[in-house]
Amino acid sequence: MSKLRQYRRKSSEEIEIDLVPIMNMFLVLIPFLLMSACFFHLKVINTSIPVLSEAATDAPKEKDVKVTVIVEIDKNSIHLSTVSDSIAQEKLDRWSTEVKKKQNEEYPLDNVSKHLERIKERYPASTTLIIIPEESVIYDTIIQTMDVARYSKGVPLFPNVVLSGKVG
Amino acid sequence: MALGKMKRHSKQFVPPKLHITSMMDMFTIILIFLLFSFSNKPETINIDKNLKLPESIAKLDRKESIKLVLSLTNLTLEDEVIASVKDGKIVGLDPHKLKESNIYQKLKVYREEEIESEDEGEARKHVIFLCDKRLSFKIINTVIKAAAMAGYPNFQFAVLKK
Repeated sequence: MSKLRQYRRKSSEEIEIDLVPIMNMFLVLIPFLLMSACFFHLKVINTSIPVLSEAATDAPKEKDVKVTVIVEIDKNSIHLSTVSDSIAQEKLDRWSTEVKKKQNEEYPLDNVSKHLERIKERYPASTTLIIIPEESVIYDTIIQTMDVARYSKGVPLFPNVVLSGKVG
Repeated sequence: MALGKMKRHSKQFVPPKLHITSMMDMFTIILIFLLFSFSNKPETINIDKNLKLPESIAKLDRKESIKLVLSLTNLTLEDEVIASVKDGKIVGLDPHKLKESNIYQKLKVYREEEIESEDEGEARKHVIFLCDKRLSFKIINTVIKAAAMAGYPNFQFAVLKK
């Protein structure tokens, strides 16, 4: 009987956990993590300017045909077109389109992305896209266009982005 | 007498209890936050506080490269200010005479040094552009052209992870 009473009294007492060693561990960990903390993540986009290269001599199969997409950005619109060494330009002209921007609004990059997806679906071997911005176009717009051109919903579209100034 | 009083006092003295639980909570939150921002290679780039980099979905990490910073006020090559920017133009950089520009000359020197080290088996470096997102393409294009002429046609744009 007395044993039972003793047990009840013991269990009702508060059990204190010694938190001091855990605190010590935290105090060591926090300076270490503070030193290796990175508050902004810098990433890069690979790009290049157009360079002269020799044209391919063999005519590729329809599925392996590569087209180069040209994205011209100006003040009010984005013009999309395609060029290729192995397909007649008249045939490629149907891929040309213009996406207009409304005043004081951002460029409708969703529409650009959809059009690029269609081109990629038709010519899956294509990987190159040339961006030709007008001189007044803001750098941020170029980067946003690059993002849209390189990936769509995590799927690569045209990962080789070339940046070029307008000629003439 | 005084000594006896002190003895009595010290016997009554009970060390105050610290409330460690709330402190533990605080440390746990800090620890979790720091664990999320942990990076095994912290960036050691010194950039102007006024420089606003664009945001992108890019996932590529930067490698060892020549750093070119183009802000609204300065053009900096490897932490050395080489020109100032005024009214959307780089002072002393004529787009038609790029070979005479300071940036071209400096990059040319880097390229020549690099060609020597490439012979020793070192990989080719890129030029990494850290440009302010508010700048126009006109000014960026001039710098890109100068870099390409100096032997760096492939380059990288630095962006912040979205």
